[in-house]
Amino acid sequence: MPDDGQQPADEAPYIRLLSIKRFRGIEDLTWLPAKGVNVLLGGGDVGKTTILEAIALLLNPTNATTLSDADYWQRRHEEGFEILAVMALPLTCGIVEQRKSVWPWEWCGEGAKLPDLEVNNGQPHDPVFCVRVCGTPNFDLQHEICQPDESFDHFPVSVRRNIGVVRLSGDDRNDRDLRLLQGSALDRLLSDRTLRSRLADKLGETDVDGELKDEAKTALAALNRRFVVRLLPSQLGLGLVGGQGFSLNALIGLMATKDGTKLPLSSWGAGTRRLAAFEVAALHQVDHPIIVVDEIERGLESYRQRILMEELIANPSQVFVTTHSAPAVNAAVGAALWYVDTGGKVGSLPASVAAQQKRDPETFLARLAVIAEGATEVGFVTTLLTRSIGEDIRRYGIRVSDGGSNSEALTVLRGLAASGLAVAGFADNEGTQEGLWQQVKEKLGDFLMRWPNGCLETNIVPHLCDDQIEAFITDAEGDAGERLRTLADRLGIQDKSLAAILAATGDIRQLIVGAACGSPPADAGSPNHQKKEWKKHGQRWFKSTAGGAELGEKVFALGLWPNLSPQLLPFVNAVRTAVGLAAAQTVD
Amino acid sequence: MSDATVAEALRSAAPLVVVEAPGGCGKTYQGASYARDVAPGLGEGRLLIVTHTNAACDVFADRTHGLSRVEIRTIDGLIIEIASAYHQALGLPADVGAWARRDPNGYAVLADRTALLLTRYPMIASCVARRYPIIICDEHQDACADRHAVVISLHSAGSMLRVFADPMQMIFTGTAAETAAAEQRWADLKNAADRFEELDTPHRWANAQPALGAWILEARAALRNGNQIDLTGALPAGLTVHYADNVAQQNMGFRVAGSLSQPIYARANFQSMLVLTGHNDRVTALRAFFNRRMPIWEGHVRDGLTSLVADTRNQQGNAAGLAQSTVTFIGSVATGFSPTAFGNRFVAEAEQGCAKPCNGKPQHLQAMARHIVERPDHRGVARALDHLRGLVANEPAFSNVRFDHGREFAEAIQLGQYDDPDDGFAEIARRRTHARPKIPAKAISTIHKAKGLEFDNVMLLPCDRANFGDTKAARAKLYVALSRATTSLLLIVSKAKPSPMFKT
Repeated sequence: MPDDGQQPADEAPYIRLLSIKRFRGIEDLTWLPAKGVNVLLGGGDVGKTTILEAIALLLNPTNATTLSDADYWQRRHEEGFEILAVMALPLTCGIVEQRKSVWPWEWCGEGAKLPDLEVNNGQPHDPVFCVRVCGTPNFDLQHEICQPDESFDHFPVSVRRNIGVVRLSGDDRNDRDLRLLQGSALDRLLSDRTLRSRLADKLGETDVDGELKDEAKTALAALNRRFVVRLLPSQLGLGLVGGQGFSLNALIGLMATKDGTKLPLSSWGAGTRRLAAFEVAALHQVDHPIIVVDEIERGLESYRQRILMEELIANPSQVFVTTHSAPAVNAAVGAALWYVDTGGKVGSLPASVAAQQKRDPETFLARLAVIAEGATEVGFVTTLLTRSIGEDIRRYGIRVSDGGSNSEALTVLRGLAASGLAVAGFADNEGTQEGLWQQVKEKLGDFLMRWPNGCLETNIVPHLCDDQIEAFITDAEGDAGERLRTLADRLGIQDKSLAAILAATGDIRQLIVGAACGSPPADAGSPNHQKKEWKKHGQRWFKSTAGGAELGEKVFALGLWPNLSPQLLPFVNAVRTAVGLAAAQTVD
Repeated sequence: MSDATVAEALRSAAPLVVVEAPGGCGKTYQGASYARDVAPGLGEGRLLIVTHTNAACDVFADRTHGLSRVEIRTIDGLIIEIASAYHQALGLPADVGAWARRDPNGYAVLADRTALLLTRYPMIASCVARRYPIIICDEHQDACADRHAVVISLHSAGSMLRVFADPMQMIFTGTAAETAAAEQRWADLKNAADRFEELDTPHRWANAQPALGAWILEARAALRNGNQIDLTGALPAGLTVHYADNVAQQNMGFRVAGSLSQPIYARANFQSMLVLTGHNDRVTALRAFFNRRMPIWEGHVRDGLTSLVADTRNQQGNAAGLAQSTVTFIGSVATGFSPTAFGNRFVAEAEQGCAKPCNGKPQHLQAMARHIVERPDHRGVARALDHLRGLVANEPAFSNVRFDHGREFAEAIQLGQYDDPDDGFAEIARRRTHARPKIPAKAISTIHKAKGLEFDNVMLLPCDRANFGDTKAARAKLYVALSRATTSLLLIVSKAKPSPMFKT
C-alpha cells in the first residue's frame, strides 16, 4: 500500500493547543504545550492543577463525572465552561472509525485551520483533530468533536479511552484507584462486571442470626413480640442488606504482602500509594497515553522524584507535570518548562535557561527570582534586601540566584522576562551587549539594576573618605593582612602596612578597586604568572557571597548609602512592591 | 473457471483488483459474498460498497443484510459527505447536498473539488481510508473522471480497491472526447491493477434461457470488438427478430405497417414485458402506440420536477412566470395539456390576476391560475397542479389530458407541503430513494433508465440506423438493451434503414 508518510500512525497523541474557558479558577487560557514533558511552575492557586484537571476531564475515560458549581468560573454555572484541545492523534485511536465520520483539520502553527486549496506549497500536512468538553448550565458534561464544518459530534468514551489519560493526582484521591470503586483505575483494569453480584450472593448465604450471642438473640425475640403486638411484619431475623450509597465493591481494595502479612495497599506510605495508583492506571492503557502528574514531589523522596521525572522524559507520551520541587526541576532536562502566572497565563521558559535550571532550580520556584550576575552580587543584594525588608527575604518568596556571569545572567533574564515569571536582575556594566541589555531594561524597568558604569566595587570605593580606608580594608574578622598584601604586591613593595602603601600610591581608591576586581597589570607585556596572581586578588576581597554581604554591610556601616541610593533605591522598591510591601524612602 | 479465479483474486492481498463484469455474470453475488467473508475480520474498519445509483445500493443492501461492518453508498453520497465536512474550504454552502441538487452542474463541480481536496490533502484521504480499509466499486464504468479520482485517492491513501466494471455499459458519458477519456481511464486502471479478471459465466440466464445468455455474451464480444451481430443464421431459443420499419410521420413517433404490428402487440400481452427504446420522447409515443396500457418507468431521475423546483425559486412572486413554468412541467409529465388549448390561457389568467369573469373551460383554467396568483410560489403551483388533477378526473373538457409520469406529477403536488421548495425536493427524493419504487410487471422505458433492471421479456425498438449508428456509445447502449432480458428478447429491426451493427 502506498505510504504518503503523512500519517501520525505511530506517534503518541499530543495536545498542540489547549483552551480553557470559565473552568474553575481559569477564566480564559490558551496554551500551546510542547510534545514531550511539560513542567508547569508557578505559585500556589494560579491554576496549574486546574490545567491538569481540565486535560483529565477532557480525556476522561468514563462518563461518570458529576459537576458542581465550583467547577464553573466564579460559580457562574449559567455561563457554562469549555475545555478544548487541538490534538495530533494516531489514527489507531479509532477516531475516524466512529459511527459518524470525523474529519481532520490542518495544524497551522498556532491553531487548527481549514485546508486551503489555493495554497499548494508541497509541504507535508499536519493533521489535527479538535475535541472539547463543555459543562452546560445544567451541570451536564458534553464531550464533543469539533468538525471542520463547524458542527459538533459526540466524542465517544471509546476514543477517549484509546487516546488514554493516566493521572497521578496531588491529593489523596489516588486511594480511590486502589479500591474497586466503580470507574476507578482498579475497576477498569480488572473489569469484572459480575463480581459484585457474585459476592453479594455469597454474603447473602451467611447465617447472621446464628452468629448472635444469647443476649442478642433474646433482644431480637423481644423486638419480634412487640412487632406482633403492633401488627408489624414479624418473624424477624438478620441478613446482609444493601442500601443507598453503600457499595460492596468499596470494601474491596488491593492488598500486598509485607513481612508475611497481607495488608491493604492504602496503608502504605503516601508516595508508594501514589506510584501504585499510577501503575494501576498505566497498565491497562494504550501505548502512549497522555500523562498528568500533579505535584510530582508529593510523598516522594528526592531520588524517587528524579527517577520518575527521568522516566517520564524517556517516555514518548505527552506529559503534564506540576511541581514546586527543586530536585524535580533540576532533573527535568529536556522537558519544556512553563511558568503559570497569577493571571492564568502560561509563559514559556526557553531552552536558554537550561543552565540556570541546573545551577539553581529554585530560581523557577520563587515568587520573585533575583538574578544577580555573580557571587558578590548575590551576597550584596541579599544584604541590601534583608536590611530593607527587615527579616529573612525567603519568607517573602524572594530567591536571589547566581546568574553565573554577566552574559549568562543576561541570557537568563531575557528568557525569564518573556515567560511571565516575576524576575529581577542585578548586574555590572561591562559595556558589552548593550542592545540586549536595553531590551531587558525596557521589559523589567526598575526590576533591573545595572550600573551605568562598572561594577559594585567601582561604584562604591570612590565614595570612601580617607579616614574610612582602613575600616573598609579590614574584613569581618578584623583581619586586613591578606588584602594589604594584594595592594603591596600591586605596588611592588615588600612592606604591606597601610602607611607604606599610602606612601607608594597616588590613588589608594583606584588601587583598591583594581585589587578587589582582580584587574590585570596595566602593562600587557607582564609575565603570565603575574597576571594569574593579580587575578586571584579579587578572591581576597569581595569575590564571594560572603564578600558581597560584607561589602553590603560596609556600605551602611560607613554611611555610603546616600551616595548609592539614587541607583539602588528604585530597585529595592520594585522588589518591595512585587512582594506586597510599600515602597520605602531609604534603606537603613 | 472465471468465477473461482475472481473469487480468489478478490480475497487476495492484492491492493487493486479489477474485474471486467458483464451484466448477468454474477458480479453482485461475487461482491456481496466477498463482503460477507471479509467484513467480520475488519475490526473497527468498514467495508464500503460504492455504487452509482440508489437502486444498486438497494440490491447490495439486500445481499449483505445483517452485516454490521458494511456500508453501502452512492459515490455522490460519499463525495457529498466529504465535501460537507470541508464546505468552507471548498467554497460551498453548508448544505452541500441541496446545493448539488439545485445546481444543474452541481454533482460534477462537487466531484471535481472533492477530488482536488483529496489529492492536495492526503491526510483527509488517509482518514477515509482508515475508516474503509476495503472499498468495492460497483459499475465503475459510470464513474466520471473526478469520481474516479476520488476513489483512486482513497486507494493511494491505503484502501484496498475491488473494482467491478463493464466498459460495455458506459452509456452515461457525453461527448466523444469524454468517451475517449473514459476508455483511457479504463485502460489505465487495467494496467495499474495487481490482478485483472473477467467474469464470463451468464448466471442470469442459467435457469430460464441458457442459450439466450450465451448469445448475449457473444453479442457483447462482437460489439466490443467492433464486429456486427449476426442475425442471419439460426437464432437461439428466446431471441426473436421481427423485421418492421418505423413509418411514423413525426419525429420521435412510432408506427409500423398494420400488417406488421400483430407480433408486437401480441408480446405486449405477456405478463411481464419491458419495452425499450432510445429516447425519452419516443417513450411517450410508445405509450400511445400501446394504447396507454403500459406505464412508463420513470426511473429515479426527475428532470421535469428538478426544473420546476429551480423555476419556483427563481420566479417567486411572479405569477405569470410561475404559470409558464407550470405549463412546461405539465408538458414534461403529461400529454394533452397543449399551449393552444390550455396553457396560453392559463398563463394569461395568471398574468392578468384572474380578473375577467368567464365560464366553462376558461373558468377552470382561471381557478387553477388563481392558486398561483394568490400564492405566487411553489405552494401555489402545487395547488394549481392538484386542482388540475381534479379537473382531469371530473371534467370532460380535460379528459384528453393524460399523465405519463404520474409519480413525478404527484411529487410536484407534494412539494406544496414544504415551506422551502429545495428542502421539500430533497425530502421527497430521500423518501423516493428509501421507498424503493416497485418496478411494475410491464413498463416502457428508455435504455438509460432501464440500466440495472431485469425483465423476463424485453422488446427493443426501433433497431434502425438512427438509433443505433456505428459509434462506441451506440454499441454500449445496444448491449445494455440486449442484456436486460432473461427469457425472451424481441428485436424490431429495420430493413429500410438498417443499423450497421446488425448483419441481416
